[in-house]
Amino acid sequence: MDGSNSIETQGLGRVYKIRNPGKKEARTLTALEGVDLQIQRGELFGILGPNGAGKTTLIKILTTLLSPTHGTAHVAGFDVTKDPENVRSRINMVSGGESSGYGLLTVRENLWMFAQFYGIPSKEANERIKTLLKIVGIEDRANTRSSSLSTGLRQKMNIVRGFLTDPEILFLDEPTLGLDVGASRSVRDFIRRWMDENHQRTLLLTTHYMVEAEELCDRVAIINKGKLLACGTPASLKQSQQREAIFQIDLDSPKSLEVSVFEQLAGVNMVKLHDEEGKTVMDLALSEEAVLANVIAAATTQGAQIITLQKREPTLEDVFVRLVGQRMEEVEHGNDASPD
Amino acid sequence: MAMMLPPIKNRQTGWRLFLMTVIGRSYPRVVGMQRELSWIFFDTFLPMLGVVAYVFVYRAIKAPEDYVGFVVVGGAMMAYWMNVLWSMSSQLYWEKETGNLALYIISPGPMMGILLGMAMGGLFATTLRALGIVILGSLFFQVHYVIVSFWQLFLVFFLTMVALYGLGMMTASLYLLLSREAYHLSNLAQEPIFLISGFYFPIKSFPAWVPFVGSIIPLTMGMDAMRQLAFASGPSLGWISVKLELIGLVVLSVLFLVSARVLLDYMERLAVREGRLTESRA
Amino acid sequence: MNSKTPNGSVAWRSFRMATWLGWKIESNWTDPFLFTVYSIVKPLAAAMILVVMYGVISQGQFGSPVFAYLFIGNAFYQYVGMVMVGVSWAIVDDREHYRTLKYLYVSPISIPFYLLGRGVSRIIITTFSVFIIMLVGVLYLKIPFDPAKIDWVLLIISVIIGIIMLAMLGLLLAGVTLRMAQYSFNIGDSVAGALYLFSGAIFPLQVLPTFLRPIGYIMPISYWLELIRRALVGGVAAAFPTFSNFSNSDLMLILIGLTIFFGFVSVWAWRKFDWQARERGLIDQTNNY
Repeated sequence: MDGSNSIETQGLGRVYKIRNPGKKEARTLTALEGVDLQIQRGELFGILGPNGAGKTTLIKILTTLLSPTHGTAHVAGFDVTKDPENVRSRINMVSGGESSGYGLLTVRENLWMFAQFYGIPSKEANERIKTLLKIVGIEDRANTRSSSLSTGLRQKMNIVRGFLTDPEILFLDEPTLGLDVGASRSVRDFIRRWMDENHQRTLLLTTHYMVEAEELCDRVAIINKGKLLACGTPASLKQSQQREAIFQIDLDSPKSLEVSVFEQLAGVNMVKLHDEEGKTVMDLALSEEAVLANVIAAATTQGAQIITLQKREPTLEDVFVRLVGQRMEEVEHGNDASPD
Repeated sequence: MAMMLPPIKNRQTGWRLFLMTVIGRSYPRVVGMQRELSWIFFDTFLPMLGVVAYVFVYRAIKAPEDYVGFVVVGGAMMAYWMNVLWSMSSQLYWEKETGNLALYIISPGPMMGILLGMAMGGLFATTLRALGIVILGSLFFQVHYVIVSFWQLFLVFFLTMVALYGLGMMTASLYLLLSREAYHLSNLAQEPIFLISGFYFPIKSFPAWVPFVGSIIPLTMGMDAMRQLAFASGPSLGWISVKLELIGLVVLSVLFLVSARVLLDYMERLAVREGRLTESRA
Repeated sequence: MNSKTPNGSVAWRSFRMATWLGWKIESNWTDPFLFTVYSIVKPLAAAMILVVMYGVISQGQFGSPVFAYLFIGNAFYQYVGMVMVGVSWAIVDDREHYRTLKYLYVSPISIPFYLLGRGVSRIIITTFSVFIIMLVGVLYLKIPFDPAKIDWVLLIISVIIGIIMLAMLGLLLAGVTLRMAQYSFNIGDSVAGALYLFSGAIFPLQVLPTFLRPIGYIMPISYWLELIRRALVGGVAAAFPTFSNFSNSDLMLILIGLTIFFGFVSVWAWRKFDWQARERGLIDQTNNY
């Protein structure tokens, strides 16, 4: 294990056995397979993937809640399976949509309770709680019972719980789930400031919001069906798509367009068609701009008319589509129940 | 840039962390009870009425008056058994459902501290209920106590509680592996235990093997000893001597506390391996 | 929607769906053998507590009418706990554990009929348990039971009316549960335990202090259990003075009357508590401590 790495995994894999009462053999589900990651100290690292990709399984392994079936994982230099106690004293975790704590206790009391589990003396804990509640904007709810909180306010309380203990490594599993746009933005700002304050802190964030990954993360790993597909800075990942010319064309077509007609054209690396609000949207990745003329000709031959044509800078979504072959929403709709 | 939060200055570890974990976890139990005062009616008064029914059964069949006292004491002890069954053993299952269990596991606070905090909080809350049942029941039915030795009685009670909550901590760790079976197992362990532990009658009434088997539940020997120490007819209706029962309770205390520690580690490792710490009931 | 009287198809749909769901929840937790053991051992152990209590004092004289009285009363009292728990516990289960109560509230179903449906599985399980307890009593404990002398019509009608009556009491409790925080011992069990004292289940109401007896006389459960005893072992029931001046028809009329009365009370109470719970935002509140 490299000493400058906060988190390191080698060949990490997890297979679930799904028990089926009445049947002798359990079926298996591979949630993670061959994941190699090196996350340096001070990095804000994102794991991007659709629902069911294995993000939460990865977090559970790294936070010592689940043991891997293959490979190894080290957090803060300690093996998660052989030395979990040393890992736990250095980490914390916040999940999106969690309902932790006790409804009959107030926000402040719930947070104080968790602070005790981390050995933070009461006086210090209460000061930190007061400061953090102010930062996330719920200081007026400190004495409200947590059972009375809305989903968004409860998630803010959860976020405070995660930062309260000043962990060396913090795991955030879809932390802005349930938060409105403004709240999500303020949480992202806070995360960035927290990281900038102390470059010894490491943060691993899982999300299926591309914008969140692009905005926050120093590096991003894209994961789907348990496999790590790519890893790099958002800029470098997008640059890998810049070898291609990316276009989005909105078309008005009297009949469904044949996607195979476009796929057969030389220079077309990727073409996706989907219908949207009475028009057909075509996403194109071409080896060079000149190929565009052939694509337009093929479309008009099929009776389509161009509404708009737009050249785009590649986004992480494009990177994902290139790697997986589908948009993230399409993958999520197609997924079975995941072990996440 | 000014820091939003300074580093933590006095982070505690070792036995101090253990103690803080115990206090932290017992807090919701103690405070929760105060905030929802309807426990006085639903958890003390109503169960007491159920206990009173058994008093009237004895009166209907013309039992000696000491048996009324047995029922009152048994009813109070029943509150502890129910607390261990529902608020200790199966509690970790409910904690798993709410996501608290995962947060406890990943914290540096030891799980034994969490369990002990649950036990202390539960013991405090239940003692208020049990006292209510004993005081009200004794006054209403004019139970006549003949206390042989107060200190022995206190010692029996104390050891019974240590062993009982040790059992609760041990079974809590076993329940880490369970899902919805947890509820049914706890349900199954109510009436059969009421029967073989002799909550309402001397266990001497049974064939010898029954109290022997039943003595794995600390309340069996505990209640038998308490009856011998607190009622005139107690010694003649006792199963074995109070001294032997005290030794038995000490053995059970050590056995359950050590087993709780060992099992907790083992079950946690097993649950982590099988991915059971965060699975949901659905 | 939930405070209005539902139309027949909504009520039936809610009841039917909840019956299916209740059965799925009750039975689908382990293999059938263990489930059967659980359904037998638990109520049998409860019955044996009384058997031992009686046996210790009477030195094993199980032929007495007193024993038959308390044994039969206790056996059928299983319905009281199970039906009331089955209906009211669904509130705790769906609100705190499954977190589905809010979704049920926004769907076009009738919550009261849903709750009643959730109790059906417990009724089925209890019937099985009561049968086993009675079988043990007849085979091993010499309960004076002659199948040729059972008044089957009285028994069946009594059981049906009793279940309806208990279901309505369960609905009342469900309303109370909707207003309360979660409990380790559920409210249904606590109340059923308390009613044990006032229902003449295990001792005649004459044993109660005079000032407590009126509570027993207004409880429909007292009349219900008396009818059950008369249907099963008429001679035993005649040995106790509590209801000796009432004929079977008198008892049946009183039971029906009290069932209707408590039915109205339960519906009224449910609507009141339901409104209060919605007003205070308790439908989706979780507590657990």
